[in-house]
Amino acid sequence: MKAMSETFSSLVEKIPDIGRDWHHEHIISNANATLRYIEKSIRDIDISNGCESALVISAGPSLHRNNVIERIVDSGYQGVVIAIDGSLGACLKKGLIPDYVLTLDPHPTRIVRWFGDHDFDAHTINDNYFLRQDLDVAFRENSKRINDEQIEIVNRYGNQLKLIVSSTSPLNVVDRAIEAGMDLYWWNPLVDDPSDSSSLTRALYKINNLPCFNTGGTVGTAAWVFAESILKARNIGVTGMDLGYPATTPLNETQTWYELHEFVKSEDELGKLFQHFTFPLTGELYYTDPTYYWYRQNFFDLLEQSSGKTYNCTEGGILFGDGIECVELETFLSMSGHGKSTVN
Amino acid sequence: MSDYLKGNFDVKNPVKDVGNVKDDKTSREKLEEKFEKAALTSIGGSMVYVRKTKLTWDGDESNE
Repeated sequence: MKAMSETFSSLVEKIPDIGRDWHHEHIISNANATLRYIEKSIRDIDISNGCESALVISAGPSLHRNNVIERIVDSGYQGVVIAIDGSLGACLKKGLIPDYVLTLDPHPTRIVRWFGDHDFDAHTINDNYFLRQDLDVAFRENSKRINDEQIEIVNRYGNQLKLIVSSTSPLNVVDRAIEAGMDLYWWNPLVDDPSDSSSLTRALYKINNLPCFNTGGTVGTAAWVFAESILKARNIGVTGMDLGYPATTPLNETQTWYELHEFVKSEDELGKLFQHFTFPLTGELYYTDPTYYWYRQNFFDLLEQSSGKTYNCTEGGILFGDGIECVELETFLSMSGHGKSTVN
Repeated sequence: MSDYLKGNFDVKNPVKDVGNVKDDKTSREKLEEKFEKAALTSIGGSMVYVRKTKLTWDGDESNE
């Protein structure tokens, strides 16, 4: 990793406050709104059979570039497959039905797109987020046709899906999941220290009494924590967890490019808001923005508390370092166990 | 409005249509707020995270 500019590190330091200010109102109001839907929680997941191997399918650009889902299907992997909302559609289209799907973000209009949005027109006016997101490149087309296909495929497989749904999810996501026939298991995001009497986590718990787990700020890391701490998987692979972009990606095609303009005085300064890495397995160059770098930092922070073994099978990106072994996807898939967890 | 109301006299200085100044300022402020909000939604990640917090918590009895 190259030396970090002061502009970059100072913005990374600001992110927790930015997130707290922005999310605070949604976290509590959404938790109050979702209360009446709660029937089961993640406590109802039976882990008595143990879980030897779990694979988290995040949704970075490598997921498509490296044909990850096809390779998982072809391998006959027998471990537990955990998708996130952003990779669900891609999995289903390739015939991979995940054991669990995880959703977290409280955003009122964007997240429902991953489930197919009945209010597509209203929600896409003045929002070009999906033109730049890299979770599912098909969504960059941002068309009604892609959205209609998503509605159809989620409806088709919905009754085979277990959704690990955060109490802070927006109601449109909850409604879509129920409409599609998904089986919902609820949880609270652990967002601060609950031993503090003014803790937001404690406030959530008072509302719904749901078990809490940490998220590292993003759904992919939350899925890893779910595998590690709830399923107690002994070996966890993560794929599609790039947390960055290949060096060939133009800066203006990155997720936070336009938003980052708010944090600098001139266009010249924008370059300082990206950090460069060399991926050790391949020697390929990647770069990342402050938000993804913050996710990386949080992941390693949480990894210190992990009791299982974690493998990064992304085959690129910026998630490498102490405590995580980078391997090719087939290497991880070939050591998969047969101890799938079951749900009562 | 100018289609219906016409003056029958000439003014010394040309009159510019500056619109409703108060409303323009409000809409500009609203737009700035909107951009700022959009920036925060993407930059701030999907969820709050505080460093050195534990992986799980299920109430006081089982954890403290």
